[in-house]
Amino acid sequence: MLKLIKEVLRVGEATLPYPFAPMEMMPGFRGKPVHDPELCIACAACAIACPPNAISITTDLDQGYQSWHLFVGRCIYCARCEEVCPTGAISLSPNFELAVMNKDDLREQADYQLAACSQCGIFFAPVKEIEYMLAMLQQSGASVENVAIARQLLSVCPECKRKNDIPKLASLYQNNSVSQEAV
Amino acid sequence: MTVLTEEKPKIGQQYVAALRARFGSAIQDEAWQAQDQVTVTVDLNSTPEIVEYLYYQQGGWLASMAGNDERPLNGHFALYYILSVEGNPAKQVSPNGAQDGETSFASEKAYMVVRTLIPPHSLEFPAVAPRVPAAIWYEREVRDMFGLRPIGLPDERRLVLPDDWPDELYPLRKDTMDYRYRPEPTTEEETYEFINVEGEGIVQIPLGPLHITSDEPGHFRLFVDGENIVDADYRLFYVHRGMEKLAETRLHYDQVTFLADRICGICGYAHNVAYATSIERALKIEAPERAQFIRTILLEVERLHSHLLNLGLACHFVGFDTGFMQFFRIREKSMKMAEILTGSRKTYGMNLIGGVRRDILKEQRVMSLQLLSELREDTTRLVGMLLETPNIVQRTLNIGRLEPQVARDYSPVGPNLRGSGFARDIRVLHPYCAYEKVPWHTVYKDGCDVLARTLIRAEEFFEAASIIERCLDGMPEGPVLTEGFTYKPYQYALGYVEAPRGEDIHWSMLGDNQKLYRWKCRASSYNNWPALRYMLRGNTISDAALIVASIDPCYSCTERVTVVDVRKKKVTLVPYKEMERYCRERKDSPLKSGKTSFA
Repeated sequence: MLKLIKEVLRVGEATLPYPFAPMEMMPGFRGKPVHDPELCIACAACAIACPPNAISITTDLDQGYQSWHLFVGRCIYCARCEEVCPTGAISLSPNFELAVMNKDDLREQADYQLAACSQCGIFFAPVKEIEYMLAMLQQSGASVENVAIARQLLSVCPECKRKNDIPKLASLYQNNSVSQEAV
Repeated sequence: MTVLTEEKPKIGQQYVAALRARFGSAIQDEAWQAQDQVTVTVDLNSTPEIVEYLYYQQGGWLASMAGNDERPLNGHFALYYILSVEGNPAKQVSPNGAQDGETSFASEKAYMVVRTLIPPHSLEFPAVAPRVPAAIWYEREVRDMFGLRPIGLPDERRLVLPDDWPDELYPLRKDTMDYRYRPEPTTEEETYEFINVEGEGIVQIPLGPLHITSDEPGHFRLFVDGENIVDADYRLFYVHRGMEKLAETRLHYDQVTFLADRICGICGYAHNVAYATSIERALKIEAPERAQFIRTILLEVERLHSHLLNLGLACHFVGFDTGFMQFFRIREKSMKMAEILTGSRKTYGMNLIGGVRRDILKEQRVMSLQLLSELREDTTRLVGMLLETPNIVQRTLNIGRLEPQVARDYSPVGPNLRGSGFARDIRVLHPYCAYEKVPWHTVYKDGCDVLARTLIRAEEFFEAASIIERCLDGMPEGPVLTEGFTYKPYQYALGYVEAPRGEDIHWSMLGDNQKLYRWKCRASSYNNWPALRYMLRGNTISDAALIVASIDPCYSCTERVTVVDVRKKKVTLVPYKEMERYCRERKDSPLKSGKTSFA
């Protein structure tokens, strides 16, 4: 008993002053994800990687925009999104204080303009994602002409690309004297 | 970089040979998943005999049992009885002289999986439980989840499914339901039939059920004669989360590690490693050595905070609440260590198939070693104090005895089993991660009581601390993640980890769509619950809470107690807080005064 009293006196007060003083978290602690909508290109890599579907993507093909959603209520703080993000637009902060009075305060949304196909006019990919690909191409040392060609190619939706390719393929076959009916 | 497991001499071949010699054509096939892991397909009607033979003649312990709907693959349902076969210790004494007409084996330790196929038109199989009691819960579960009928099963009540679940809906069959489907309840009332012990002077005490203050609620019914417990029955699975179904249908196989974390709020990382290693074995890859060390360190960090929690609870239940507070104070240091090493207080999100996501840097190593030395010092002092409290020995010696024979029959695990004289520890028997590479020893005791189990946890704490220190010091350099492997359809294997409460066993089978075909995860407490009935018998109700806590169950809330006095035909409901108070103070029995009875 005496030992116990000694121990209690030796230790003193173990309780932290939190919440009246901020709590220091260890470096590398994973808390609430912070999204930088400027850096984000809406490529949806994070939505695919997210195990609990805390991040999701919806597409509005009529209005032509793609929305990035985060619901922190589902987040498990694994940082898979941070790992897969090509632009570093999302990272996990040390913030662990997530209590809210209104559940919707745990939701975040960012909308991104979609590019319309230069041929059929249907929306098919986020403008920022296309710009990102072109910038990458430029960075990797492609010539101005090649970037211009790529820009041309990227302005067409996959469906139209496929349609455009059919006559090209057909002419290839023709040159190789393959019968046209086979195509 | 992909490391393929090299072809090594197989461990356990002798057991397969013995099976073939004894059962002949009943053994239809053998397939090796790993060096010490074999699946033997056997004739349906010989299954009970074969499992019994492995269990009792060859020193087997029932690790788990998985049902599987393999109709899309081969037209049958399948059962996998998973046994850790460890040889017969008695026969090891005289390795040359064969006894009982049996071939004697040295001490090969292998996982043997007895697989049997059930034709979908009959759906019946002979129950193993009458021969091997340890199978009882597994066979009840398979009956609930797949609608397979164990013939001769001594207990035909539902185990996993709630009472208001529709009769013909078997959740884990491949063609029954989407994982999001929630059927309408079929009844308003709980219809579970508890075992009723009746007789002169016998009183019934239900403890529970539903109040989720901890991770899992349970409903207990204690039958007492005066203050003495005659028998007990309990119903769990009130919060069955359908994780297996979720993993099989919704998640990709490499996302399941994050779900496996969430199986338990204490030993989540143990489940995570068990799952990841099961897939690594199925795909024949290995995590790099450094990752193995990191996994070992984190597994032991989990043991630190788990054992400190249980030691704290032991103080609480014998009325030494200051000790409880002190244990929780120092436990915070182990949580801090988890935060330093993994970025999460609960060691969550560290594993991927093939290794770990995060290395341990020098600074983190130094901080952890510092915390460890503080922890060691603090715990030494506190455990000393706990054992000097006269109450502790008086309250725990010879209380809640788990007799070795009961233990042998029911395959309990962890400190619960080691307290009854069995030195069974998966870390030694089937070494994984880096446990073979650092020196440490298994702690076991012969007391069979609450005291023995508590002492084991205290000693294991120090073992865990030195394993962490040795791993932190001896970690080899190199990568922490194996990448570039290929998903192989329909491969399956076992993963296992000695969690703080005993072994966690994961049996995983891959599908053909980047998902799992079947995932059977078994938490350690699953094997500990069935034997609890025998541990409660012969004790007084004031010790009930203490005994339940001594198996360190992965559920903690027994909300209230119902007492049924058979002599007076009276049912009394006692709030759990009152039971707990009685356990601590041992004054004013809630049964005597009637002041708390409101039934």
